[in-house]
Amino acid sequence: MRHLRYLVAAAAIAAFPLVSPNPYFINLAQDIAIAAIGAIGLNILLGLSGQLSLGQAGFLALGAYGSGVLATNHGWPLWATLPVSLLLSAVAGGVLGLVALRTRTHYLAMVTLAFGYIVEILAQRWVDITGGSMGLIGVPQLNFGDFQNGAANYFWAIAATLLLLQMLNDYAMRSRFGRSLHAIKESESFALTVGIDAARWRSLVFMVSAVLAGLSGFFFAHQAGYVSSDAFGLDRSIALLIAVVIGGLGSAYGPILGAIILVILNQLTAGLYEVSYYIFGGILLVVMLFFPAGAVGAVQRLFGRRAAGGSGAVPDTAGAGGAGAGAGAGAGADTGGAGVPAQTGDAGGTAASSASEGAAGIAFTAPATGQGPILELQDITKSYSGVTAVNAVSLKVMPGTVHAVIGPNGAGKSTLINVISGLYQPDSGSIRFMGRDITHLAPHRRAALGLTRTFQNLQLIGTLTVAENVMLGLQRGSGFARGWLRWLASDAEERDERAEALRLLRFFGIERLADVLPGDLPYGHRKLCELARALAQRPTMLFLDEPIAGLNEGEAKEIMEKIRGLKALGMTVLLVEHNMSFVMQLSDTVTVLDYGRKIGEGAPDVVQRDEAVIAAYLGTGEA
Amino acid sequence: MKTADLVQLLISGIAMGSIYTLMGKGLLITFLTTRALNFGQGDFLMIASFLSMTLLLAGTPVVVAVVVVLAVLVVLGVGLERLAIRPLANMTAGSASSLAWILTTMGFGMLLQNTAQLVWGKSRFYSPPLFADEQKKVVELMGARFYLEELIVALVAMVVVGVLYWFLFRARWGKEVAAVSFDKGTASLLGIDVRRVVATSYAIMAVLAAVSGILAGPLTTVQAHMGLLFILKGFAVVCIGGFVNPVGILIAGIGFGIVEAMSNYVDSAFGDLYPFIIALLFLIVRPSGLFGEFKADVR
Repeated sequence: MRHLRYLVAAAAIAAFPLVSPNPYFINLAQDIAIAAIGAIGLNILLGLSGQLSLGQAGFLALGAYGSGVLATNHGWPLWATLPVSLLLSAVAGGVLGLVALRTRTHYLAMVTLAFGYIVEILAQRWVDITGGSMGLIGVPQLNFGDFQNGAANYFWAIAATLLLLQMLNDYAMRSRFGRSLHAIKESESFALTVGIDAARWRSLVFMVSAVLAGLSGFFFAHQAGYVSSDAFGLDRSIALLIAVVIGGLGSAYGPILGAIILVILNQLTAGLYEVSYYIFGGILLVVMLFFPAGAVGAVQRLFGRRAAGGSGAVPDTAGAGGAGAGAGAGAGADTGGAGVPAQTGDAGGTAASSASEGAAGIAFTAPATGQGPILELQDITKSYSGVTAVNAVSLKVMPGTVHAVIGPNGAGKSTLINVISGLYQPDSGSIRFMGRDITHLAPHRRAALGLTRTFQNLQLIGTLTVAENVMLGLQRGSGFARGWLRWLASDAEERDERAEALRLLRFFGIERLADVLPGDLPYGHRKLCELARALAQRPTMLFLDEPIAGLNEGEAKEIMEKIRGLKALGMTVLLVEHNMSFVMQLSDTVTVLDYGRKIGEGAPDVVQRDEAVIAAYLGTGEA
Repeated sequence: MKTADLVQLLISGIAMGSIYTLMGKGLLITFLTTRALNFGQGDFLMIASFLSMTLLLAGTPVVVAVVVVLAVLVVLGVGLERLAIRPLANMTAGSASSLAWILTTMGFGMLLQNTAQLVWGKSRFYSPPLFADEQKKVVELMGARFYLEELIVALVAMVVVGVLYWFLFRARWGKEVAAVSFDKGTASLLGIDVRRVVATSYAIMAVLAAVSGILAGPLTTVQAHMGLLFILKGFAVVCIGGFVNPVGILIAGIGFGIVEAMSNYVDSAFGDLYPFIIALLFLIVRPSGLFGEFKADVR
């Protein structure tokens, strides 16, 4: 379906200057395409990764001057200046991205604001190079040697670039790249534990958005043959932001829609210069307060589609994806939709309907039993400003067993969990996993080794469906370029991922809920969904943080059955839980913590008879 | 550089730096209660500068002018919270919710800028002095000559900082802020009127911006878009000081002002950019600030 959409778009681009040779409209269309290129970059940054830049005009200026100055004053050809201007914005983006690496959202917003200001001042005052606000005059225009049709040629060049970027953008948003960014935005600690290197992704995305802004600036510089520093003020950054916000944050077609609205708005309000800040400021307030999903969201609501934030980025089925809002491809959706049941049917045919048989389709690496511990903690100590939460705890988890850690509140269980998964660094002691020292390994690397955890407070990504959440666990796959080419050629990658996600959901008996948002599920089903996602990571060892907290008896029983099923398949499970009867029925080994120390360990019936344990825990009443 | 020049630069720097400190405190206080900064806080300052300038030029006594400006700004501050912050709490979790406050507070500030532009025009103005009889009233101390106004500005700012410190760490209100900052739900269960604490914090933010605006007016040129620089500097100061570290903010604010005065003296063309570049580099190298953050006590 998307091929049709792109072909229609390409045809429209090709035909536009011929159908409407009016230079005013061609110029307007150029403006829209230039703004849309910058907006796509900002949308990936803001809508997907949740980072806000208020200094895009700075990157725009670097792109514009980088090429404009070299071409005008030094006579460089444009094919040589383009890489320079992209490089300039990439380097600046990389440096500012260092801030994105380690700081919080509003820091980045303010830092980019300052960056934009610095660039603007430099452009204004460094007159020798930039011409200041008088402008750089006589910048060569890109007309491909045909002065007569220069404007049309230039439009084709920009619009073709935009189309290509849109295709890349669509892939980025629908593939694991987009899902990863969603995960980082919603819960960074979760992202780390499914093996996503959040810091790297954030700074990478920042750089990409800077380069796209630079590209937009490049096209801007060679559009009118004149570049003035007035073009790169804060209002430019805000205008770009408004385009993204109006269009709909995080939606695939929001930037284009927003760019169209912005350029038309600029035309309509050209005479209202005196109140332009009222207009822009008012738009920011009204859109954020009343239409946070933007124009794409409004269109979707109009047609009754799921209107959760960023839903445009994550169409729930291939069929719905065809109905790209505002792309005018609605007619194609029906045919696309027809293909979906067929796929599901195929998958259902190979794996039989009963859960136990479906389980055979679940893949993970089960290490051979009887080879010594799979996870080994040696004298782990962790304290916070004087309070020792975990004190010299050692622990051995044998492969293929269910090992429980119990203890009253404040016993240090949570700290121990976070130390094992790598969110906290222990003060002393060591952790070995499958014979390898992982004490100082970053959380996402531990996840990559097969140490997979779930959270006591569920960390499902609210803007992704259940199936997509599970697909988030499937963090492998091809690189971006290869993935994109395969995606252009066929739906195979996405279909395979979805089929695997459904297989996992079937094991947990919640396949029918695949296309529901997690927020709409009862708590027990959300727990199952999280287990399915953990399993999607193909863990060597599952690490469950209070898997039945907050569940009723029936739901708890269901979870217990599933964990038994996994054990039967050879999975190693480490769990932390309050519920004694659950732990005693399920575990092979139980470790008891109290005040940060290990006070008992052994088989459930042994531990239950241990004096110290009874005194510390069982004796003080039912937990 | 002569010693006299140095002393003069130091005092100018301290005066401007204490205004940046006030801006930084304003950012801090709303961050504590709502995890949001007012990105239009510079525009609040701008409105205060314009108002006090207009009142003073019309012959209003300084005390009356200050009271009027404070009152107007408090209304703006509470209005900002009501209009641009509180409604966001009901927003469904999604792509926009965690960033919406940046855009709404900024939008609010843009409305203020446009208003100022319509009322006072686009020109630059000079505000009359608040304290000295003439703007150029010069005092001599140890051979150094400096403006009395600057010295008094720094003193007033320090008093305000002290009062705020007392509010946060000695008065009951400060404990309420700490509770709200820790967890809104828990705070309300403890009988704290969270809405009132939040609204008060925005009022205090506005008061700080008002004082900054009144003090800054005679030291700089007043124009509709002056706010951007002040919010940037205020934020730089907060970052360098360690985000929620009140003493760090004070030291960073004064330091920023002094560095700025020096760099302007050394390079009159691009000197005003140096402090920003230094602050940017600083953030990259030490994102948690000069003294780190007080993790335990987030006031």
